Parts: sequence; C-alpha cells; structure tokens
Amino acid sequence: MMPLVEKAEQETGTPIERLEVWHETKNADLMRSLKDILLPKCGGKLAVPAFLNTETNDVVCGEVGYEALKEWVKK
Amino acid sequence: MQKRYWRCFVCNDIHSGLKPPEICPTCKVKDAYVEISAKEARIFDGAVAEKEFAVEDFRLAIEKMTEGNEFMVNPNREKVDLLLQGVMSNERSYGLKYCPCRLITMDFEEDSKIVCPCNFTVHATYKGVPKGECWCGLFVKR
Repeated sequence: MMPLVEKAEQETGTPIERLEVWHETKNADLMRSLKDILLPKCGGKLAVPAFLNTETNDVVCGEVGYEALKEWVKK
Repeated sequence: MQKRYWRCFVCNDIHSGLKPPEICPTCKVKDAYVEISAKEARIFDGAVAEKEFAVEDFRLAIEKMTEGNEFMVNPNREKVDLLLQGVMSNERSYGLKYCPCRLITMDFEEDSKIVCPCNFTVHATYKGVPKGECWCGLFVKR
C-alpha cells in the first residue's frame, strides 16, 4: 500500500500524513478518538489502513486500489 | 450470558460455554460432564504445562480449521507470513490474536469480534462475493 500512497502524493502534489498505529500508542489513541467518523464508513471497524481527510471527513478504508486512493486524494 | 465451566469426570477435559458437550470430544464418553467453578477450571488448566503457541502452531491450526470448509488460507505465502506477523504482534501487545488490519477499540466485547479467525463468513468482503475473503485476506474462498 505504501508505494501507492507515495505515487498518489507525487502525482497529485498533495502530502499525506502517515500515522503508524500498531506500535505508537499516541497514534492508536488518536485513531480511536476518530471512531465516530471512521466506524460508519469502515463497516463498523477501525480499519487499518484508513485514509481520512480531516477537512471533509472523507474516508477510504483498507487496502484499496490506486484509482480509489487517488480519487480520495483529489477530493 | 455468564460463561460456565464443566469437567469430564472420566478424562478431566475442561469445557467452557453455555452448556457442556453431550459427548466428551477427548474420551468420547457420553454425559460425562460435571459443572465446576471458574476457580476449579483454572486449577485444572494450570496443571497442564502451557505450551508456547508459536506462529507455526497458529498457521497449522488455521489450515486445519479450513479443511472441509468452503474457504482456505490464502495461497499467497508471502502475504500470509506478513499477516501472521501482525496477528502475533497484536497478541504480544494486546493479549489476543486480534486482526492485524483493524485497530482494537479497547472495548473487550466489541474487540472480541475481531480475534483471528473472526466470523468473516458474514462480512461484506466475503458473503455473496465470488472471490470473497476476510477483511485482510488471510482466508479466501476456494
């Protein structure tokens, strides 16, 4: 998935902040604090990876294809 | 519902659940279970040397679980190795083999639904999907 994220950043010129949640408690707690936004859009679960636009609350859940990821970035 | 515990009076197999098996799966004797306390169940469990459940044990366990089922462990060995690393990492961090593709909420009841293997056959990624799979692709339809 990471290569797709890097490719999307390069092609759109939009930086995507990465927050590792498996080993970083602070990041995991942040993700849990966003569960009201994430759960309804990710089948009721805190999917990893999850891509959240904090301005629009637009969410993409799981390992999606490049086109779906790029669409999310462009929004 | 409160979990209850039973001991087979023939072979000391311990069962936990809502009711005991009619036939002991270990010694095959019928109607052999007596209800016991959680404390007694723990004592019997503790008397058995705890076997270290390594990643290969879990791999074998899930492969055996899929035998005779419509699903199987993903034939992509590299992907499975990575996913199993995540499962075991979660067990070390959080105590249970939680799905590596979903973060636990810290609500035990809720999180118990994503202990691997979870009940993926009812999920949207699997049910009714021709090449259905569990959320992270560890289990796939044959």
